[in-house]
Amino acid sequence: MSFQIPIGPQHPALKEPISLRMTVEGEVITDVDMRLGYNHRGMEKLAEEKSWLQNIYVTERICGICSHSHATCYVQGVEKLMELAPPRRGLYIRYLVAELERVHSHLLWLGVAGHEAGFDSFFMYTWRDREIVMDLLEMISGNRVHYAINTLGGVRRDIDEGQKAKILEGVATLRKRSEYYFYIGANEPSFVARIAGVGYLSKESAIALCAVGPVARASGVARDVRKDDPCAVYGELDFEVATADTCDVLGRVVVRVKELLESYKLIEQMVKGLPAGDIAVKAPRKAKPGEVVSRYEAPRGENIHYIKANGTDKPERLKVRAPTLANYPATVEMLRKGFIADIPLIFAAIDPCICCAERTVTLVAAGSGEESVVRMSDLRRQALARHQNAPVKRNAVWPL
Amino acid sequence: MSDIEIVESLKRDLGEKALDLTNPDVRRIFVKIAPPELVPVVTLLRDKYDCAYLATISGVDKGDTFEFLYHFASPVANINLRTEFPKSEPRIASICAVIPGAVLYERELQEMFGVKVEGIPDPRRLVLPDDWPEGQYPLRKDWKHVRPQEVIPGGKS
Amino acid sequence: MAVVRTLLYLVVYPGLLFLFVYSTFCEWFDRKVYARLQNRMGPTHTGRFGLLQPIADFFKLMAKEDIVPEAADKRLFSILPVVGLAVVATAGLLLPVWNFDLANPGLTSFSGDIIVVLYLLSLPTLILFLAAWASTNPFATIGGARVLTMFFGYEVPLFLAVLSPAILADSWRLAEIAAFYQAKPLLLLTNLLGFIVAVIAVQAKLERTPFDIPHAETEIVGGTFTEYSGKKLALFRLTFDIELVVSSGLLAAVFLGGFPGGAVVGFLHFVVKTLFVIFLLSLLRALTSRIRIDQVVSFAWKYLAPLAVLQLLVTILLKGLLS
Repeated sequence: MSFQIPIGPQHPALKEPISLRMTVEGEVITDVDMRLGYNHRGMEKLAEEKSWLQNIYVTERICGICSHSHATCYVQGVEKLMELAPPRRGLYIRYLVAELERVHSHLLWLGVAGHEAGFDSFFMYTWRDREIVMDLLEMISGNRVHYAINTLGGVRRDIDEGQKAKILEGVATLRKRSEYYFYIGANEPSFVARIAGVGYLSKESAIALCAVGPVARASGVARDVRKDDPCAVYGELDFEVATADTCDVLGRVVVRVKELLESYKLIEQMVKGLPAGDIAVKAPRKAKPGEVVSRYEAPRGENIHYIKANGTDKPERLKVRAPTLANYPATVEMLRKGFIADIPLIFAAIDPCICCAERTVTLVAAGSGEESVVRMSDLRRQALARHQNAPVKRNAVWPL
Repeated sequence: MSDIEIVESLKRDLGEKALDLTNPDVRRIFVKIAPPELVPVVTLLRDKYDCAYLATISGVDKGDTFEFLYHFASPVANINLRTEFPKSEPRIASICAVIPGAVLYERELQEMFGVKVEGIPDPRRLVLPDDWPEGQYPLRKDWKHVRPQEVIPGGKS
Repeated sequence: MAVVRTLLYLVVYPGLLFLFVYSTFCEWFDRKVYARLQNRMGPTHTGRFGLLQPIADFFKLMAKEDIVPEAADKRLFSILPVVGLAVVATAGLLLPVWNFDLANPGLTSFSGDIIVVLYLLSLPTLILFLAAWASTNPFATIGGARVLTMFFGYEVPLFLAVLSPAILADSWRLAEIAAFYQAKPLLLLTNLLGFIVAVIAVQAKLERTPFDIPHAETEIVGGTFTEYSGKKLALFRLTFDIELVVSSGLLAAVFLGGFPGGAVVGFLHFVVKTLFVIFLLSLLRALTSRIRIDQVVSFAWKYLAPLAVLQLLVTILLKGLLS
């Protein structure tokens, strides 16, 4: 008996909306169909109407988890267009935040993988430790998620000696814990039985389907923009590209944990070798006509922005390709002939970030369907008005 | 292989086909070709230059023409294949036969620019909703969309 | 007077009310242990140490909207939670903690009650399958199929493991088995293998990690319970809680020497020993990840069943040696 089961758009295994339609026969998947677009926000169109500086904050909001990576990729490109040379201290801080973000993203992913496999203890442990790195990021940038530390020509905040010491201390703790997770992830029998051999993606298909990031690296394709196309500081730092050749979810877990350890190494190098000097230079308002391709290794894989300038203070075109989109064809390939039980694991193993993959903002009034672009000041005024008109709830009695 | 070697080699291989060949930055090479040459050149890039990895395809609306950029990446360089065709005849060949991973990018281009990608294995919509009206292509520069009145079943308006 | 006594027996102690209170306490204990193993606090808010949390959860669910899907078999769908609860509560009455008097076997202690308890503990599985099937939801249907598939895996090892101590004690009555091991506590050690097999099989029967496959939320949403809500879901949850108490009580009676010492001391034995079994089950739950359905069946037949047979062999040899 074969029937279709819908995974999504709303499903407990998915943190964001996407629709996977599985045709299953018993427990075995025979066909997979994927529908995207539930989270399309038209970011690319929006970016054409914002200035170079405003677009940093637009790109930062493409994704919640790898917010820094999109902003960095964009800023890198625009700095090339404007022929700016950011000071080295600024660059070091920028990529220090980038590596801390990678740590937080990978720890988050490890927890999610544990949860999808029904291993909730692993989830609780990794997410507890993720708080350490979130606190470090908050200390550096003032925010836990949208760091907003990038600016054209450098970064917005400096770090001092005390913060440096705290970062080193936090990284030392995290390294110890990550080594333990590496041991658990590769040795806990029920967990390994669950992820070994699941979601097989051969090296040939990984290359043919243009997989990126840890998915490609777990299939033995050593593709890492930090090594292949070293932007700014990565050329001067010592690290290795983590790969695995098991081509399955276990390989993806191993690659991510190894990358964690590499990131700790990078963070330590950057903190210890932080050059003195300014953190930013002043950026012009306009960019000369031109085009640039900016690449950056986000936690999930390669991030590529194509930016075209037309001489005004706004971009002519900003094309964003997030790593998740590149991994979708490979996911369909991995899901075929798998078990229902493997769907969440395989899908989670690409570390999907659906709001990254689908970018686009207009407000639509739910009642009338009327579309309007609302200014921030209007929104603020509306919010204040609503707040003032609302009845006072201070002493309200809540009915049982 | 350094950038200069790649550029020289590309000049030899492509000859007249390369309408424009620039190397504006380290590891960034831009090649312009005519649309009919697309599939052969992509095959050449994949087989000879280790460019099996297509990062993405960018579309740009240049007024009267569309410009498509195929961003390839090899371990040593980033080769961007540029091709331009008139807006009046928006069609381009699919490269999915050469690079299977290109299908999602081509689907996105189809619905965003209204370019017919010929020979695409899966021509359905990718990100726009199912009830999106025909003939509306959001990333065209002249696109102005007026949203139709939304009717809520059983609602007042 | 006899009628009142029977009513008290059925409704208050050891009937529904006591089982309700004790099973919610056991759920609280399980949740607390599980949470502490995961670096969390567990329930803290309702009542002292959050003791009342499971009861609060139960009443919250009772107050929620109760939806019966259009396409479902409405009568079957509605009646199954009640039947399930009744079945496990009946099994609870047969535990030798409230009918310890060997000389005067009451209505609920008879030769062969161990078989009846095992049978009554198997019924919820079938009820779950029927519930899933009656709700006609694809996720529930898959969940139901998984319930049955898993049932074929763990049931035989559980029976073999639980029955071998009975063979050694030469009785099919729970109170007599317990009395036998109370007289010769050293013999309990020979059943250690069976105890391990039985704990794992009970974990599977209760559908807890690593065997929470029929309602694996990340795969098939609610699985068997996808369409259940409100009162019916509350009753199903209570069914599982009582099943947890009864199965750990059964394991305690058979493998841990029963509950000697009359009404009060015996009851203390009951509490300590069931909590010990539940602690083991929670430990197993915290330490493992969910496995796949085919892995459950192959694990059950490759490891659990042979181990249970080995236990049976040891028991029979030992019995020959003793007599």
